[in-house]
Amino acid sequence: MKTRDTISVAIADQSVIVRSGMYTALKRLPKLNIQAVEISTCAGLEDCLRTQPIDILIVNPYFNGFFNFDCLQTEQDEVKVKVVALATTHTDPSVLNNFDATITIFDSLAKIGDTILKLINREDSDDEQETLTDREKEVVICIVKGMTNKEIADHLFLSVHTVNTHRKNITKKLQIHSASGLTIYAIVNKLVDINEIQAD
Amino acid sequence: MVQITQYSSKDKMSSLISGDDTLLQVLACFGISLGFGDRTVDQVCKLSNVDCATFLTVVNFVTSGFSSIETHDHELSLPCLITYLRQTHIYYLDNLLPSIREKLVKATSLSKDKVGQLIIKAFDEYMREIKKHMDYEDQTVFIYVENLLKGEQTPTFKIKTYSKHHDLVGERLTELKSIIIKYTPADVDNYMLMSALLDIFECEKGLEWHCKIEDYLFSPLVLNYEQKLIKNED
Repeated sequence: MKTRDTISVAIADQSVIVRSGMYTALKRLPKLNIQAVEISTCAGLEDCLRTQPIDILIVNPYFNGFFNFDCLQTEQDEVKVKVVALATTHTDPSVLNNFDATITIFDSLAKIGDTILKLINREDSDDEQETLTDREKEVVICIVKGMTNKEIADHLFLSVHTVNTHRKNITKKLQIHSASGLTIYAIVNKLVDINEIQAD
Repeated sequence: MVQITQYSSKDKMSSLISGDDTLLQVLACFGISLGFGDRTVDQVCKLSNVDCATFLTVVNFVTSGFSSIETHDHELSLPCLITYLRQTHIYYLDNLLPSIREKLVKATSLSKDKVGQLIIKAFDEYMREIKKHMDYEDQTVFIYVENLLKGEQTPTFKIKTYSKHHDLVGERLTELKSIIIKYTPADVDNYMLMSALLDIFECEKGLEWHCKIEDYLFSPLVLNYEQKLIKNED
């Protein structure tokens, strides 16, 4: 299911064998949490780019003749889609230069994973995950006690803006958005005592 | 070419279900009840007042694993698709999710750890979020499309606004699942909890493809309709 970590990938190639091959290879990278979709026609590609938040487009450089980069022009506020060339035959290097990266048909699974990881610029930062700073822990305790952002700010001598930043980081680290989820986290990790929580 | 990659209207309805159990829910939400004997897809659809082309498109989309976006040559019925999507919401909100809640309550009822009760509270909070989201679709998105079909434009809304903002439902369920997996107290009824979790996994999968039907079938269809309208005005 889609989460913040999900990488949305569209695979555009006219060959069903190449498409499903790429699709299956991506499924074999479970840690990357890739959601892939196969596209076989130009119209399908246009629909997909118009309606889907795609992170990476893996496309045959010769898709429908020559892959046309014009179809990627999106509105300014949107993040640019990374485009990877899927080179199934020998491809002129000058063609490949236009792409953000290249996957060739003889790449190993590890190399494909590496290419994708580099593109989304997400390091495997295990140490950063889930470890809250002391300040963040204090904010969690306040949230769990039902304090508003303003109350938290006054209590910890912070600005409301800073409290908001802390909350964003907490959500990102713990992947918990709800107050009741945070409460459970705080109790299990002994940040608060269960008896301090008001039962409502 | 013989249609070997997809189901067609001449296939027996019963062969669809035996081929893929996920289609059970598709049938139910299209309002088709079991007990159709040896009737073909076409016949059953007619009897149940379901647009056969739309039904088959969803069926084939589900059985192909939602992996590809195809352009559909035949006319699909947006009203029929909307009825189906609405019905799916009802299935989740009124049937599946409450039954999961019941299992969670049973699983944690004898636990001395208060965290068990907090999990139910978290479940309720997530359900409210999911309900809010589905209500938004029912009341804003679908109504918008229904108006569009009548030729009425809503200047403040375009289907694109909707498709980019709708991963939330799944995210919530995934979060809930991970909370249960990580923080459930040790003294709960483990088998009952497992059963609830399996249902959540199932629900998560079901919602995932529900969203995909919205993203890959419904949205492009509405998008094309919007464009047709704009062209007609020019």
